[in-house]
Amino acid sequence: MRQHAFAILVGLCATTVQAATPAELLAGYQSAAAQQSAGFQPSAQRGAAFFANRFGQSAKMPACTSCHTDDPALAGRHVVTDKAIKPLAPAANAARFTDAAKAEKWFRRNCTEVVGRECSAAEKADFIAFLTGGR
Amino acid sequence: MDRILVWDWPVRIGHWLLVGAFALAWLTSESEAWRLVHAGAGGTVVGVIAFRLLWGVVGTRHARFASFVRGPGGVRDYLLGLVSGRPLHTAGHNPAGGWAIVALLALGLLTGASGWLTYNEVGGEWFEEVHEAMASLMLGVAVLHVAGVVVSSLAHRENLVLAMLTGMKHGTPAEAIRGARPWAVPMLLACAAACAWWLAR
Ligand code: HEC
Ligand code: HEM
Ligand code: HEM
Repeated sequence: MRQHAFAILVGLCATTVQAATPAELLAGYQSAAAQQSAGFQPSAQRGAAFFANRFGQSAKMPACTSCHTDDPALAGRHVVTDKAIKPLAPAANAARFTDAAKAEKWFRRNCTEVVGRECSAAEKADFIAFLTGGR
Repeated sequence: MDRILVWDWPVRIGHWLLVGAFALAWLTSESEAWRLVHAGAGGTVVGVIAFRLLWGVVGTRHARFASFVRGPGGVRDYLLGLVSGRPLHTAGHNPAGGWAIVALLALGLLTGASGWLTYNEVGGEWFEEVHEAMASLMLGVAVLHVAGVVVSSLAHRENLVLAMLTGMKHGTPAEAIRGARPWAVPMLLACAAACAWWLAR
């Protein structure tokens, strides 16, 4: 029983951890966005505006900055639990956007609660473009 | 057979607190807005189980692990009796149910521990996978547990869910427990509250 559970765990870890780079994740979202609107180009400016936008869907966590602070290169603090959150910018935290499944999970979770809906591929591409400081 | 008292107050209150806290932890698991409630509910699960482990040693007769945890032979005999339509009656937990209970208690602790490690970012990311897997496994065992309760209730023509509320089951007077030990309930609640607070901190 315990051995089976362990085997299942090892399997789960192996399937969800996919090493990737922020550039690969960005490229993936960019091509998905381009299918919806041809010629889509990610914009760090739109990403920055999105990051700072107070959506106001949730009183406790109106914006991404509520937890991630105004500067993505700095460590954040969870407004609800008060736990520290490592910086979102890959320049400050090399582990960011290196696992597609993890990035998707947090986009889904945080967008649903902060924006009030899932984020589009275009918004995700802009967001990563802003965090990686490119384009 | 007579109607006798078998489940004391800490067993009954502890059970329904465990069910409620587990359900709350499950329902709040995907939300950051509810993350504190999630950790508190999960902490309550851990606290109830911690108390139950102690109660399994010092509690009333049918609450003691030594009285209901049986070897594989006992489980086989019970299951064979169940399919042949002549299930062995036990005043306390039956041998098959006993193992579901042990599994639920162990999984509750493992889920809580891995959740706490994720919450405080102790250890690697993989504890999150462990946490989710343990929680899902626990839900699976809980479903089996409820199915077992339904099957046993039908086989013994005795409402076991009601018994978990009233504490009363069929049995001989010699099998009854003497008191319901209401004085231990505040200790159970204090243990649950302390764990909820400490783990969600
Ligand atoms: C309630 C607090 C909170 C808010 C508000 C919040 N996040 Fe997060 N976010 C977190 C936590 C906690 C993590 C995981 C931290 C970790 O892995 O160290 C995280 C991680 C992420 C990640 C994962 C990055 C990676 O691949 O490692 C992304 C992407 C993300 N957030 C985007 C957003 C966006 C977009 C918003 C606004 C729409 C937002 N977050 C708002 C708490 C928050
Ligand atoms: C024992 C009862 C518990 C159950 C049934 C439970 C269940 C779950 C489930 C199913 C998830 C995954 C959600 C998802 O991604 O879809 C989750 C996530 C989480 N749980 Fe629990 N949990 C329990 C206890 C705890 C405790 C005690 C803590 C902290 C002290 C905790 C902290 C967390 C955290 C931080 C996450 C988010 C992890 C991440 O996505 O990085 N949990 N829980
Ligand atoms: C996550 C959910 C659940 C968990 C973790 C759980 C756990 C437990 C535990 C630990 C016991 C042993 C009680 C003791 O001796 O202290 C038990 C017994 C019992 N549970 Fe649950 N339970 C869950 C859900 C349910 C539900 C939903 C029901 C009712 C529909 C239920 C009905 C019972 C009954 C009737 C018993 C006594 C069984 C017997 O007569 O031997 N349980 N449960």
